Amino acid sequence: MKKTFLIIFCFLFMCNTLLADDKNDAKMMIKSKIDSAISVLQNEDLKKEESNEKIIGIVSPVFNFGLIAKLSMGKTNWQKLSSDNKKRFVDLFENRMKSSYLEKLNMYTNESINYGEPIQEGRKVQVPTELISKDNKINMIYKLYKSKGLWKIYDLEVEGVSVVKTYKTQFDEVLKKGTVENLMKELEKPESE
Amino acid sequence: MLSFRFDLFKFSVDGMKKKLFQGFLAFLFLILLFSSGCAHRPESSSSGYMSGSSLSQNEAVISDDEDDLNDDFGLLEDEFEEEADQISDPLYYWNKVMFHINDKLYYWAMKPISKGYKAATPTFFRRGIKNFFRNLTTPLRFVNCVLQGKGNAAEREFARFLVNSSIGVLGIGDPASKYPKLKAPDSESFGQTFATYGIGEGFYIVWPVLGPSTLRNSVGMIGDKLLSPVSYVDPTEASAGITALDMVNSVSFKIGDYESLKKASIDPYTAFRNIYLQNFRKKVEK
Repeated sequence: MKKTFLIIFCFLFMCNTLLADDKNDAKMMIKSKIDSAISVLQNEDLKKEESNEKIIGIVSPVFNFGLIAKLSMGKTNWQKLSSDNKKRFVDLFENRMKSSYLEKLNMYTNESINYGEPIQEGRKVQVPTELISKDNKINMIYKLYKSKGLWKIYDLEVEGVSVVKTYKTQFDEVLKKGTVENLMKELEKPESE
Repeated sequence: MLSFRFDLFKFSVDGMKKKLFQGFLAFLFLILLFSSGCAHRPESSSSGYMSGSSLSQNEAVISDDEDDLNDDFGLLEDEFEEEADQISDPLYYWNKVMFHINDKLYYWAMKPISKGYKAATPTFFRRGIKNFFRNLTTPLRFVNCVLQGKGNAAEREFARFLVNSSIGVLGIGDPASKYPKLKAPDSESFGQTFATYGIGEGFYIVWPVLGPSTLRNSVGMIGDKLLSPVSYVDPTEASAGITALDMVNSVSFKIGDYESLKKASIDPYTAFRNIYLQNFRKKVEK
């Protein structure tokens, strides 16, 4: 009988550590991706375009760009899009996300990066990071969810500002005043300061 | 507790004992499954995805799409469905004009001046100025920490002020930050205090030079000014000059931030309104 209880306790204990590992898995994954992205950035032999391409190759697999695009569009707006437009929108949005993420990394990686304690809430995990540059520091939280056994990023929070939320209010505004075609045109425009 | 359970089992017949125990185990297992099971649900629903991949490329994309719509999209979108990110904007036309004026002010004046200033001064000098102004606004943060009942943060502000004003020479140095216990607390303002008291934001308003705000936070800014020593410097020109130095100095640390946010946006006015609100609301939560 004692043995059985021991087994139960061991089992309980194991479950606990398994759960804890879950969120740390997400953190370690983010850490390894960013670390390798930064080693690319610090490699001075590479041209800007080359290093950008390499970094995108490293981080892209952990971003679910399709989902980020859909969440930013919102259910109501998304369902109104034709399937051609859905694909076009996701592609355009993906490019924009990639270039703005690259820019953030480029701006804030000359000093160091701190990784905070991950916070888990069911299938979702938030991994807080702090990017420190010579001049400034910013908080960046990676929001991940587990799908098909893999952790994927579905939103980024920079200084308390969710990227998905910011895009969502903009898409709502553009679609309220204009058409889907207007929105696509805006997204196709080259980014200007 | 354990021995009590053993006694209970002794009373029952042997076969019953076994069954009871098995039931207990199954029960435990079920609880564990439910408490940790959420994380594994996608695996069980992946069969649909697998069958999708055997179809032609195009069809697979669509079925993956539908899968996401019913699965991840449905689960995650709740987080973003709230209308709470909206704010009434009755001064829309005024605000939009002000937004464009501030935008031009940044590109034509603030940015070139800060850039020149940054090039002309060593980093330690600019950091010293930054520390000095932060130290100078301690009363404002201290009072608001107290008003919000943040005892620990108030104590830290007070201790930091004593250390940095003396050993740090008028706040130019920041020796207090060497002690983990005296790490700088988050910034506080009357706007945040009003928010914790449950006062609503009112509407959105963009001020020239000062930038985005809300009705409530604008009232708060008057209080912030009253607690800032710089406001009491005698000739008004001198006071304005000091404020300008503070602004140029702090912008010199974040050249590029505004540009990058603007570049990423599609509708800059809406984007910056939302960014201001999200950022402020997050500060209030802390």
